[in-house]
Amino acid sequence: MASNKKKRQSTRQRRKGISTTHILIVAGVAVLVVGLLVILNTTRPQTTVTDLIYETGVTPEGEPYKGSPDAPLQLVEYSDFLCGHCGNFADTIETLSPDYIESGELQVIFRNYAFLAPESLVAAQAAECALDQGADKFWIYHDLLFANRGTGLGTYSKSRLKSYAQDIGLDTKAFNECLDSGAKLEEIQVDKAEGESQGVEATPTWFINGQMTRGGLSESELRRIFDDLLSQVP
Amino acid sequence: MSESTRDTTSHITRHVDWRLWLIRLLSLAGIGASAYLTWAHLAHQSVTCGQSQGCDIVQQSVYSEVAGIPVALLGLMAYVALFALTLLRGRVPEPQDDYVPLAIFGISLIGMLYSAYLTYLELFVIYAICRWRVSSAIIITAIFLLSLPDLITEIDLS
Repeated sequence: MASNKKKRQSTRQRRKGISTTHILIVAGVAVLVVGLLVILNTTRPQTTVTDLIYETGVTPEGEPYKGSPDAPLQLVEYSDFLCGHCGNFADTIETLSPDYIESGELQVIFRNYAFLAPESLVAAQAAECALDQGADKFWIYHDLLFANRGTGLGTYSKSRLKSYAQDIGLDTKAFNECLDSGAKLEEIQVDKAEGESQGVEATPTWFINGQMTRGGLSESELRRIFDDLLSQVP
Repeated sequence: MSESTRDTTSHITRHVDWRLWLIRLLSLAGIGASAYLTWAHLAHQSVTCGQSQGCDIVQQSVYSEVAGIPVALLGLMAYVALFALTLLRGRVPEPQDDYVPLAIFGISLIGMLYSAYLTYLELFVIYAICRWRVSSAIIITAIFLLSLPDLITEIDLS
């Protein structure tokens, strides 16, 4: 009896470490930490999408390009807008733009290889709908899609894709009709089938003067490849 | 044996109970799952997004990192911390020992809430389910639930 009493007293004395206030504080901090993690997870540094300063156009096969068609280097890229590595690769190419695209030494041709998830297909169709309004519009839209990758839930939902089109001044009526009708779905599928026939299995896969490379490379690695090829040009 | 030593011994025995052992085992399982996912993420680094399902799609998505740090690595760190805390329980002097269940509760609550967010992303945004990550979500939820009784015991009711 006396022993039990002592134990209870001991327990009571010991129970002074934490209180419900402590628990509420920890729970509050936990919610804040998770909120911060979610914000960090869904927020990407916004890159400013500006007017293009290089030549753009559409190849005879109907694919959008940037850079001079007479450039000694031709890079054909198969890409999925949902693929993080493709976004990084597009950023790297854009960083190299002044030295290679604007200088007329590199032409970049974009081809869809939309395969990762349903949103990949929708985003690819939206980009093709933007292309209907001009190759420059396509590239601005392309840059905007990659710049917004991961910015919140449903980044490539139809409503967001339509809103991006409005942001860059596209004819929204024509764009929305194009996207809603699914008119570009077949083109996207053809692009993918052609990619497969050339050995594309993943994104980004790119062909530099016909030579296939899988995966994004760093700026310095790309520079080395471009410079090596340029040095071979007579 | 002095009175205080007996008290400490009994205190340690009381706390190294089945729940603590289970949390320890689950933390080890969590370490395994998140270590694999971290490896898988880093193995894909700067390569490609491939024709794949489930974990690969989730790992290749833009949601697999927080400020450049793989989410799986954050999970691994949390499980290591939880495992270390279970080893500390009953081995540190009071009142610091009383804060160990609170720390387990806090870390597992963060893990559980973030896992819920990731599950939402998988179901409604990425459209791919990674079984390893779902396992981790179940593990962290179990750890959270197991942490509650010990926490309640430590509440100062006075």
